[in-house]
Amino acid sequence: MFENTKDTIRTIRTAGKLGWAMESNWTDPFLFAIYSVVRPIASSLILVVMYYVITRGKTSLDLFAFIYVGNAFFMYVVNVLFGISWVIHDDREHYQMIRYIYIAPMKMYYYLFGRGIAKMVLTTLAVIITIAFGMLALKIPINLMTINYPLLIFSVLVGIFIITCLGILLAGISMVTAHHSYALTEGIAGLFYLACGAIYPIDILPVWLQYISKLLPLTYWLELVRRAILGKSISTTLGGYSDFQLILIMLGTTLVLAMFSNYIYRSIEHIARKHGKIDQLTNY
Amino acid sequence: MNYAVETFDLNRSFKLKKAKNKKENNNTPGKLIALDNASIKIHQGELFGLLGPNGAGKTTLIKILSTLLLPSSGTALVDGVDVVKQPDQVRKRINMVSGGEHCGYGILNVRETLWMFSQFYGIPTQVAQARIDVLLKILKMEEFAKTKIGKLSTGLRQKLNFMRGFVCGPKIMFLDEPTLGLDVQIARDVRAYIRTWMKENPERTVLLTTHYMAEADELCDRVAIIDKGKVMVCDTPGNLKKTLAGEAVFRIEVPLAANGMETFGQISGVKQFAYEHKSHLGRTELKFILHDESAISNVTEFLSNNSSKIVSLSKMEPSLEDVFVALVGRGLKDENGSQN
Amino acid sequence: MKTDLKTNFKAIIARAYVRIIAANREPSWWFSETLLPILSTAAYVYVYKALKAPPEYTGFVILGGTMSAYWIQVLWSMAAQFYWEKEMGNLDLYMIAPISRMSILLGMALGGIIQTTSRAAFIFLTGSLIFNVSFAVVSFPKLIAVFFLTLISLYGLGMLFSSLFMLYGREAWHGVTLLQEPVHLISGFFFPVRNLGFVVGVVASFIPLTLGLDAMRQLAFKAGAASGFINVNLELSVLAVLCVIFLVTSKYALELMEKLGKKEGRLTLRWQ
Repeated sequence: MFENTKDTIRTIRTAGKLGWAMESNWTDPFLFAIYSVVRPIASSLILVVMYYVITRGKTSLDLFAFIYVGNAFFMYVVNVLFGISWVIHDDREHYQMIRYIYIAPMKMYYYLFGRGIAKMVLTTLAVIITIAFGMLALKIPINLMTINYPLLIFSVLVGIFIITCLGILLAGISMVTAHHSYALTEGIAGLFYLACGAIYPIDILPVWLQYISKLLPLTYWLELVRRAILGKSISTTLGGYSDFQLILIMLGTTLVLAMFSNYIYRSIEHIARKHGKIDQLTNY
Repeated sequence: MNYAVETFDLNRSFKLKKAKNKKENNNTPGKLIALDNASIKIHQGELFGLLGPNGAGKTTLIKILSTLLLPSSGTALVDGVDVVKQPDQVRKRINMVSGGEHCGYGILNVRETLWMFSQFYGIPTQVAQARIDVLLKILKMEEFAKTKIGKLSTGLRQKLNFMRGFVCGPKIMFLDEPTLGLDVQIARDVRAYIRTWMKENPERTVLLTTHYMAEADELCDRVAIIDKGKVMVCDTPGNLKKTLAGEAVFRIEVPLAANGMETFGQISGVKQFAYEHKSHLGRTELKFILHDESAISNVTEFLSNNSSKIVSLSKMEPSLEDVFVALVGRGLKDENGSQN
Repeated sequence: MKTDLKTNFKAIIARAYVRIIAANREPSWWFSETLLPILSTAAYVYVYKALKAPPEYTGFVILGGTMSAYWIQVLWSMAAQFYWEKEMGNLDLYMIAPISRMSILLGMALGGIIQTTSRAAFIFLTGSLIFNVSFAVVSFPKLIAVFFLTLISLYGLGMLFSSLFMLYGREAWHGVTLLQEPVHLISGFFFPVRNLGFVVGVVASFIPLTLGLDAMRQLAFKAGAASGFINVNLELSVLAVLCVIFLVTSKYALELMEKLGKKEGRLTLRWQ
């Protein structure tokens, strides 16, 4: 048991180092720092401009804060999801190492998680920078003294677990799909962007889409993160739940997702082995 | 005399990053010399071999000749055309196949891939398809014509890459370790095709790099031996082997020995010495090139004085590898007897 | 000369063929590259709905989402493509072929345009139908001219990026990633670029989609002209100039980078 734990930690640590090297050592630290900041800020500014184009700043800041915080934390979904699922494609087609990784006596889950750690660290920095930018430059009403830190940290950790499960699911799908698996990951992130109420309350969505929203753990995760930071919710659909109820629903849906992700990954992995696609080259 | 390839004092060096800490070698030189005043002449219609161990400069030379790399200094002419000044003209005359490499896009099938590359050489589709049919047949790939290349085995993918080079109808072909990693049968097919292709047109020329000495011996009209970027010698395989006619080549097997190898070279009468450990057999193979056959007694005496049991001893006909050993004073360790 | 032209033309078709045929062989792209992109576009539509924006903004977003398909394709399958070709071993083979390297780039662009147009059309039609977008086209000829000039200059820019990134490894990859969101922002994919101010608009005009999108919005929507950045005719002229600039500079950039790569021995350096 102890040996297994040690092996697991070693796998995650090694994959983490590898992921970090790939993320960071392509340029000098200064450029890397700019690179890490420009993307998240630009992504948030798109929504800021959309907000100001329509409201000209005349509407209450509550909706703006809701959009801004949701979008900032949604970066975890985009980046970590990509960081984990892209590993399959990158190792297979680019470095052509997947066959050696795959046959190593380690759990692929831990390797994928490890490779995603660099993205998790960088995204955490990006989220902090984005929130700080929002507070300082855009006057988003966030009071550092009133943030519910235990709830925030707990939610972020569960959120990372949720996204890791989704990443593993997509990594499975990437095993049997071609070059365009980056589009698949971006597209799936788009699905959550639409359905989880990242940049608007889910109340605005059609009723049938709200049902889908309520099945997704990320919906509850974003709601909890907002409550932890902003201290309130503007969603009528989710507003009726207490924090504790939301935590329970999030954990329940996360458990289902984890089982589903594991099942899909294993099934597709089996298909990939059956059809000899583990180390296929598909680029075009 | 028309030369297919001529190089004059060709040099190529690469900048190396200096070691960052003391643990690494602080004496790391600032550059790596890949080619050192390399001069060769290859006649039109010749199958010319370039032999040498890994890192000898063979691939660098091919990259320069195929317009992929500029020389640091010196001149290289392909079919009389300067590779630096007129690369476009050179490209019309050449093609290149690198062993162990793949080509194309996994999504296309074998026929489509070959057709695609033929189009880059302006070959009419009908002509290209006819050539593809011939190549598929000769190289026994007909049944894979419609298989996506992503689904081919490594050997078949290499075969495809080989066909890719020939389908474009070059006048001069650069084959860089074309049989690297191929199984015996596929390597045999490849070698047979090279010979057939050469016979079809006397103007065709092949520059073949390999570290399989037997392959060079079998195929090449002339060979050049290259080591550390320098062309050591250039002649027909027969003539090169004759340079060892006055000398004797002995192979001795002893139980696996780890140390003291350098002392064998100092035995009286030994001109050159090389060795290869064969761990799986529990033996070390010693190869001695002696000034005179009688010197073998010095060798056996030395071995018995050092308590080395002789497992086997045989006198050998000189091979190209022995020529290499005689020239550079070491064997082609990478080869490990994997000639096919 | 005539033979060279013919060879280069064949090369363009052959390289484009890979992309066109690939799209049919991997049907999963329908899911990942048509259905899924609609979702993130739809998310921006709902932001406007949440903000109670005027209805024409839905159309602006759908058009932005449609053109975004081209931008993503240009970034990932044009700008970063030589990086992939190098890793796969194809770049060497292109470099020793007796063709202009521009033919390879043009083939990639042509194939890319054909491949992406079906996706973009799907996003456009589905998005317009689902969100009931109403169009009021002022001038079809101008609209078509803007669309094609935008595509040509956009893919010209892609070819320029491709040339510049040829020698690079992951730098190219990350460079491409870096261009994604910031360009979505400054080119006004989801709002009229006029709102960013004149200076930002002028700077952003170097990305052909900025003026292309603005002109298309002005030409296709009733309220488009009121939120336009500059006159459509001027935008058309600038786009035409950009076409020439990008195509010409990409040729020179390609030659320069190839020369540099051969000198430094980085042209065929892999797994950076």
